[in-house]
Amino acid sequence: MATEKVVSLSAEAKAVAARVGSLRDFLAYLGEHDQCVSWPDPVMPEPDIRNISVAAGNNVSTGPAVIFDKIRGYPGKRIAVNVHGSFGNLALLLGLPKITPVRELFFEIIRRWGSDKPLLERVAPEKAPVNENRVDKNINLYDLLPLYRINANDGGFYIGKACVVSRDPLEPDNFGKQNVGIYRIQVMGPDTFTLLSIPAHDMGRQMLMAEQHGKPLKVSVMIGNHPAMPMFAATPVGYDESEFAYASQMMGAPLRLTTAVNGTDILADTEMVIEGELQLNQREVEGPFGEFPGSYSGVRKVPLFRVTSVSHRNNPIFENIYIGKGWTEHDTLIGLNTSAPIYSQLKKDFPEVAAVNALYQHGLTGIISVRNRFAGFAKSVAMRALGTPHGTMYLKNLILVDENVDPFDLNQVMWALSTRTRANDIIVIPNMPMVPIDPAAEVPGKGHRLIIDATSFMAPDNLGADPHLVDRPMGPEIDALMQRLNELQKGGV
Amino acid sequence: MKTICPRCESTGVTQMHAGMENNQILWRVWHCKDCAYTWRDSEPAESIDPKVRPAWTKMKGVDFDSLRQVIPPAHKPT
Ligand SMILES: [Zn+2]
Repeated sequence: MATEKVVSLSAEAKAVAARVGSLRDFLAYLGEHDQCVSWPDPVMPEPDIRNISVAAGNNVSTGPAVIFDKIRGYPGKRIAVNVHGSFGNLALLLGLPKITPVRELFFEIIRRWGSDKPLLERVAPEKAPVNENRVDKNINLYDLLPLYRINANDGGFYIGKACVVSRDPLEPDNFGKQNVGIYRIQVMGPDTFTLLSIPAHDMGRQMLMAEQHGKPLKVSVMIGNHPAMPMFAATPVGYDESEFAYASQMMGAPLRLTTAVNGTDILADTEMVIEGELQLNQREVEGPFGEFPGSYSGVRKVPLFRVTSVSHRNNPIFENIYIGKGWTEHDTLIGLNTSAPIYSQLKKDFPEVAAVNALYQHGLTGIISVRNRFAGFAKSVAMRALGTPHGTMYLKNLILVDENVDPFDLNQVMWALSTRTRANDIIVIPNMPMVPIDPAAEVPGKGHRLIIDATSFMAPDNLGADPHLVDRPMGPEIDALMQRLNELQKGGV
Repeated sequence: MKTICPRCESTGVTQMHAGMENNQILWRVWHCKDCAYTWRDSEPAESIDPKVRPAWTKMKGVDFDSLRQVIPPAHKPT
């Protein structure tokens, strides 16, 4: 039930939300904060773009977005990578200083969850920048997009960061049942592509419905979007909830929507929209693709789409992502939005939970900080985490730390592992469900879970030689001092 | 020499696109109609040379109809 509640934002956050309406606005804003660079030299599509993307993403705190506009063989074409590749870039999007600690970004996202008023504006199609150009015959994706191979053994050229909009094939007029999600797209020909989804995901469900009932499934593949869209499109919302509404709520500012030729809603300021239609019951050989666990998925038969038209802004930017062996932009893009729902679900039953870090490989490893209500309590919290919607499949390794250990500061987590863990007090739960593409699975889809309780001991635990712990100063005061030191290093006063 | 697919070694390959520089062709994009592999002839050998590509990526002799379906078709294609 919508309560029309809007989260109050800081003046800085409001200013960012007001001026960032598109990818190009955000790139300009990042540039003003030294967080976006144009690569000055000519690059070959392979391996240069892959290598520079990896280098940009290696700096998790302040790696920049990178724009390529001298791509050899693709004169006049532009690519942007690593737009969400550092926490500095995410902090700027949320109106915070770029060196904001990850823990604070996490709590800012949690805080914005309280908002539930959709902020959507309609723009007439003829006034939408995305419609500055339209191609509906002789469509050639190889000519429209500077496509390239993301990882060396991928089966082809992938569009890895597009937000795909689709309407429910049986209820095409229902706005809420319109789905927006990120699915991997392999270009198969000048006007064909495959789109990978599984029956458990909204898009997979829509594909099944369309083919069962012989109904058309029309999609709009949005490339180069408002930065909130890929960040929040990756967050699971209910099937009848709109990702557009959710992204606008999180930004606290309106998103501009227009209508595509095929009737789906699209972002009016997006760089390019490829409209396509599912070729009922047709499949193409897809993959491998270097996936988020850092291993290649297999080669499989995947539903095929045909392009019906392409709309794009003048001089469009092909925004893409590097994904593969971590750390990559994929981890930064979805990490906080993976952590936040687990935290909220745990917090309902266990107010002692202080924070959840499920940044690693979509939560294959998670770290929960919690105050022990009684001895062994952290283990109960871990069990509850395994029963959350995301935990059921993904949370494979769980580390529990005290409430005064910042789970986003791995040096602190390592302290807890070093000094709080008793090797005879870990739990292995055998034969649990597992993400099929986890390379550590015993068989795809089944494997073992690990819980390491690295919280402090309390009676009736055997306290052993447990000494009095040092109360290390932490929190906003220390964060402010760190920022001051950072400014002093840069020559400030 | 005839272009073959670096992955399944089929000769059923089609040129999809050519990248131009100073009015000359700099590279070509190819696609295999059998295994759907797509490549650019300017790529490093690990992606396009069958002699260098890792053994696990090879698809010579694979029955493509036997590959796993992620979403099985509801009906036979029309
Ligand atoms: Zn082939």
